[in-house]
Amino acid sequence: MMDELELLKKDWRQREEHLPRLTYEEIYKMIWKKSSSLVRWIFYISIIEFTLPHLLYLIPSVRDQGNFEFARRLGIEGWMMAMTVVQYTVAIYFIYQFYKRYREITVLDDAGQLMHRIFRTRRTVKHYVIFCLSMVLLIFLLFIIGMALDDNLVATLDLHGGAEEMDPKKLKLIVIGVVTVMGLLFTALMGLIYFLLYGLLTRKLKRNYWELKRMEA
Amino acid sequence: MNKELEHQFVTELENNQNIVHKVCSLYTDDRDSHNDLFQEITIQLWKAYPKFRGDSKFSTWMYRVALNTAITLYRKSKRRPQTRDYDSVIYKISTEQYDPTEEQHLKLMYSAIRQLGDIDKALVFLYLEEKNYSEIAETLGITEVNARVKMNRIKTKLRTIINP
Repeated sequence: MMDELELLKKDWRQREEHLPRLTYEEIYKMIWKKSSSLVRWIFYISIIEFTLPHLLYLIPSVRDQGNFEFARRLGIEGWMMAMTVVQYTVAIYFIYQFYKRYREITVLDDAGQLMHRIFRTRRTVKHYVIFCLSMVLLIFLLFIIGMALDDNLVATLDLHGGAEEMDPKKLKLIVIGVVTVMGLLFTALMGLIYFLLYGLLTRKLKRNYWELKRMEA
Repeated sequence: MNKELEHQFVTELENNQNIVHKVCSLYTDDRDSHNDLFQEITIQLWKAYPKFRGDSKFSTWMYRVALNTAITLYRKSKRRPQTRDYDSVIYKISTEQYDPTEEQHLKLMYSAIRQLGDIDKALVFLYLEEKNYSEIAETLGITEVNARVKMNRIKTKLRTIINP
């Protein structure tokens, strides 16, 4: 009896006759269609991730009466300014790095190398996201320190509705507690959205990458 | 110049389209996905075509781009209801086969291949296409020894499916 695998090879060759066939025109039309490849998705999502934190500043309430006015009253506006400058500088650096890595991705590499490059590109964005989340936490921390050092929190925060009658120490603890919880929740939520998006996108890629790595082990 | 390049590319692909169809038949389950993947591979081939130097054969170069797309770049656009009427080559039992046991064996082997992971499928595909181990290793980015070891394991697995 013929070896089964040789039989399989033979059959595989015979199956060529049953393959679909596209015409010149059909193929020609295809080359102008838009790619929906993983790399393209990663590119779009990364752009959103890069711009999202900055778009928040375009909302007037966040920019004007919000953080900066509040920061001024707390006396931490110098710090806020410095952090904003740092944030933008680092963002530009990351965008440059990301673009450089993205350009390096080529379908002509071998499968292992290609996957590695995609992961590296994506890692750049991941580091940026971690940096942004750290900045968010830091800003909340700055506010908490500002409030802790403030002697007249009721006036600074312009609180009404019975807050004036409360024990200032107790009030301070409550406000700081609320801000801490808000800060942590906000960061966790942002982190969850980022990593969920990324995780879903690269699930197949990860599986195949590890399959390849296991072969080399 | 650009028109000429387009014409050259489409002609080459038209002549070698079997390779892409075979990859699609291994990596997709229904006709729509087959066409989707075919289109994505075509786009990737076209994007990379200016870098194709011609120092290897067009078909050799196609294997790499097609498999890279199937393994790495392709994303199913959306969940589709399973179409039962799909007559992928891999499901179809060729009319040349008369021996019922042989036919049964082939059926079993094809269904086993379909259940393999994406990378293992690529190995089997290149093996069925009569590629040697150095080419397989180069396409996937693993060492030749590892390609050989892995392929032997898959072969044993396929044999035990038929002769338990």
